[in-house]
Amino acid sequence: MSGKDRIEIFPSRMAQTIMKARLKGAQTGRNLLKKKSDALTLRFRQILKKIIETKMLMGEVMREAAFSLAEAKFTAGDFSTTVIQNVNKAQVKIRAKKDNVAGVTLPVFEHYHEGTDSYELTGLARGGEQLAKLKRNYAKAVELLVELASLQSSFPGLNVPLLISSQSWMRGSEKSSIG
Amino acid sequence: MLEGAEFYFNVDHGYLEGLVRGCKASLLTQQDYINLVQCETLEDVKIHLQTTDYGNFLANETNPLTVSKIDTEMRKKLCREFEYFRNHSLEPLSTFFTYMTCSYMIDNVILLMNGALQKKSVKEILVKCHPLGRFTEMEAVNIAETPSDLFNAVLVETPLAPFFQDCMSENTLDELNIELLRNKLYKSYLEAFYKFCKNHGDVTAEIMCPILEFEADRRAFIITLNSFGTELSKDDRETLYPTCGKLYPEGLRLLAQAEDFDQMRRVAEHYGVYKPLFEAVGDGDGDTRLVLIFYKHKVQMNVLAFNRQFHYGVFYAYAKLKEQEMRNIVWIAECISQRHRTKINSYIPIL
Repeated sequence: MSGKDRIEIFPSRMAQTIMKARLKGAQTGRNLLKKKSDALTLRFRQILKKIIETKMLMGEVMREAAFSLAEAKFTAGDFSTTVIQNVNKAQVKIRAKKDNVAGVTLPVFEHYHEGTDSYELTGLARGGEQLAKLKRNYAKAVELLVELASLQSSFPGLNVPLLISSQSWMRGSEKSSIG
Repeated sequence: MLEGAEFYFNVDHGYLEGLVRGCKASLLTQQDYINLVQCETLEDVKIHLQTTDYGNFLANETNPLTVSKIDTEMRKKLCREFEYFRNHSLEPLSTFFTYMTCSYMIDNVILLMNGALQKKSVKEILVKCHPLGRFTEMEAVNIAETPSDLFNAVLVETPLAPFFQDCMSENTLDELNIELLRNKLYKSYLEAFYKFCKNHGDVTAEIMCPILEFEADRRAFIITLNSFGTELSKDDRETLYPTCGKLYPEGLRLLAQAEDFDQMRRVAEHYGVYKPLFEAVGDGDGDTRLVLIFYKHKVQMNVLAFNRQFHYGVFYAYAKLKEQEMRNIVWIAECISQRHRTKINSYIPIL
């Protein structure tokens, strides 16, 4: 029992009951903190695992997409300027939503399609099938990118509360071990 | 043109024919392709190309070497050769050359139209135009506001003017989807080119007409194939088919009604030339292989054009074979640079 953590109190029965109530409150608070830090840790680990998986998949998908671009160029010639010229509205858009984990709000991105494909008839006379495959591959890559962005933006959002709550829990357990 | 071209041809065109045959002899052979396929990096590709007729065309390129640099330099070389032929040609060979460049001009015009409509700077677009399709009025494109103005002010002077006549409805071009416009222009161009060759007669007609017929039919097949599942209506589709091929008129009508690949195959089976091509496709992954098979057939026809003398087809065939060679080299270079070697042998061998 260290000297500085002593609470000055008048030894009476009522003071004892009050102290017991305070102790109980402190213990409940500490348990809640532990639960919070556990939930955050769990979510953190899940996100981390998903990030690693997505990143590995991303490498494969990008490689596939770049190769299908080369294939499309082989059959259809150089269509890059046509594509760049005809850009108007975005077809794939992102909605940002909020997700609540143990009191911490995390941003989540989800993609949605809007509008028609303005490049439907490109490559009508040559290379149309390769272009369709190319569009599919890059669409997959974009979806993966959105997922990765969502995961990576929630990463620091989780990190800080996790550290704070685990620190508080540590301090709390120090104090309670003394008391 | 009188029969017996061998009497008159060399007077005007003998020098150029000799030159183009020399150029053809320097196309990459199967051995060269095997060497290229075994390269590990783009630097190796450059070294191998130095031993061929390409020589030191990449000598002035700074590091790092990219596939697009190789592509640009090859295209510049082809253009230099082509311009040389063109500058030394006499009529009617010069008209023939003009017809050859029309297809590139069509692509350039579509690009310029798009850019002018979107108020992009002309200089950026000019850089991306195909050099073989240059025409003098190119820089004047940005004065026009709408496609119709563009036509009336600028394009009327180019060799493409008659092709636009067929596509215009009430003298306006505005409503047409740009891709439909491109394909309609190409259809008119192909038909005009075919008529020119046929009227010229003699060996040129014997060589060029089958090549152009195949090109027309190939386009019809590919357009049909690519329009399955899009919003292109059957009538629209039919207006895009060039009529100078073997499929005209019954085949084109049947093709316009086709709904899937098997129906298309059945149409092709009525024609002796196309039946074996479609049979070679087999089942399953029909589409990609069909495109490659068409390319192979085209290359074969172009190579056969060199078996006869005294006709203009050699120039057309040389340009097309050179383009195919460029595509092959770019394909191999891409496979090497992306380290994705599974399909590296899908180039089309020429000689």
